Amino acid sequence: MTPSSTRRLAVNGAIVVLVLVLPLVFRTRSSIIGYLNIAMLYAIATQGLNLLMGFGGLVSLGHAAFMAIGGYTAAVLVMTYHVNMFLAVVAGVAGAGLFGLVIGFPSLRLSGFYLAVATMALGSSIADVIKRLAITGGDYGLINIPTLRLGGWELTSETSKYYFFVAILVVVFLVVRNFLNSRSGRAVRAVRDSEMTASAMGVNVAAYKLVTFIFAACIAGLSGALYAFTISYLHPMNFGLTFSIELLSMSIIGGLGTIIGPILGALFWVMLPVVIGGRMEFLSTVIFGLSIIGSVMFLPKGLSELVTRIQTRLRL
Amino acid sequence: MSIDIFLNLTVRGLTTGAIYALVGMGIVLILQTTNVMNFAQGDTGMFITYLAFFMITTAKVPYSLVLILAIAAGAFVGLLVERFMMRSVRSRSHLSLIMLTLGLSLLFQGLAAFLFKTEPRLFPPLVSGDPIKLGPIILGRQDIVVLLAAIVTFGILYLFLYRTKQGAAARSISQDEYAARVLGIPTPSIYMLVWAIGSAMAGLAALLIVPRFSLEPSFMGLIQVKAFTAIVLGGMGSVFGAAVGGLIIGIVENLVAYQFPAIKDSFMLIVIVIVLLVMPQGLFGKRQQRRF
Repeated sequence: MTPSSTRRLAVNGAIVVLVLVLPLVFRTRSSIIGYLNIAMLYAIATQGLNLLMGFGGLVSLGHAAFMAIGGYTAAVLVMTYHVNMFLAVVAGVAGAGLFGLVIGFPSLRLSGFYLAVATMALGSSIADVIKRLAITGGDYGLINIPTLRLGGWELTSETSKYYFFVAILVVVFLVVRNFLNSRSGRAVRAVRDSEMTASAMGVNVAAYKLVTFIFAACIAGLSGALYAFTISYLHPMNFGLTFSIELLSMSIIGGLGTIIGPILGALFWVMLPVVIGGRMEFLSTVIFGLSIIGSVMFLPKGLSELVTRIQTRLRL
Repeated sequence: MSIDIFLNLTVRGLTTGAIYALVGMGIVLILQTTNVMNFAQGDTGMFITYLAFFMITTAKVPYSLVLILAIAAGAFVGLLVERFMMRSVRSRSHLSLIMLTLGLSLLFQGLAAFLFKTEPRLFPPLVSGDPIKLGPIILGRQDIVVLLAAIVTFGILYLFLYRTKQGAAARSISQDEYAARVLGIPTPSIYMLVWAIGSAMAGLAALLIVPRFSLEPSFMGLIQVKAFTAIVLGGMGSVFGAAVGGLIIGIVENLVAYQFPAIKDSFMLIVIVIVLLVMPQGLFGKRQQRRF
């Protein structure tokens, strides 16, 4: 083995060990683990958005709506119809995917600003629709959603959720990475770079745009369903335009079009206010704004570019 | 509904529409020439309005002077944004430029919340007094000011775009930026001018409409969404379209809100999706030819 690959192995091993022992380090402060859990759920949703925007070149300002549909579908199925929790999560993912198909249709005819406004409109109206329905708890939100259960094992403690989410996160990221490296993934990226070239090469542009939307929506739906069973509370206002823009901000700061970007972006987004502390809560919004501007101007691939630069510097 | 109510709702909708038109015209001016959808338009105005609030209430600066200062501050922000942010990333994708404005919007929201706290404040209107009665129609004085401001702004923009050399340059850039450069149009300074005018309108618009709402860091959010829909309805390409689109949305929204209050906010959004799908060129936009 060359020295550089040994070093890389050592660093990667250290990261894996760090991820695994983190709950033990913060054993007495489970709130920290709770924040990390939220960050992981956001990272999953952001990965969907990243797939759509970073790799598919399709703008979405309504991504939170997919999370809302996933979350509400799963929660209502479990609470009102007493469906098995695993099946409910699957249904949430499918529901979000179906809505992704619906939102994906405008993307066949629209691009750029037009698509941005269309997704913004559809995304914000979902929150309104949920508010009007009785089964979703309407304006009061949905409370007392049962916590995550895996077979006979209930994930009550933050630590058990943590390990579960780490596993889900790894699976989602591997699936996305393998998808992007597959024939279909290359087709999606080809459509982003030039629709005309892609169609000349025999790529069915319309089909791949729809597939990208559905895939991205499914991932966000999974995140939303898990979110519902973690937070135990859903409110339509939490899934409006603001949250869609937050998800977008996470993917920009982390680095659009990179695989690890969503994790870095979501961690930064969730942990910065925690680090700064509650009394200075809005200072973090200032920093987020500056981070977006800074990453667009100086680090087009966001935090993940920073990581790459450090790797190069340390010759990892 | 009776004819009196209908008239009142329509006129009231017209004044609401004037708000959307004021914000929308600034956005569309920048969009048309520089090809950037400015998501920071509303929050630039919001931040300037906070500064204006303290000038009026704490420093007791005369309202008219504050109005001029707000317009100047907006223009200054526009100049800075174009010179130090947009110019260096112009060669990259449109998405990067839009993301910059999103970052700017977050920055202003964060600064406002951090410096001035988030509790809503009541902003004094430019003109106060009893509403004016015109036959069966009752109109607030500030509403008339907003309506007049929208008309005057539209006139000024029209004169700028169609009666000045710089306006002609801005229009030629929106047709073909490369050709404009080849013909010797100083695109960098035109971009700066357009950003200055567009952002100055952000300051003016926010200051005039804030008395109808309350001053808080998020007060421009929904208004900006409506302004976007106005632009789409008007065809994305013209200041005239944005103005008319804004007025239509204001009127329809007010009528819908009276008859079906529950669907007030989502109604327009659904309409806009249908408009985008059925006639993406909007009411006044030119049909885009697909280039092969």
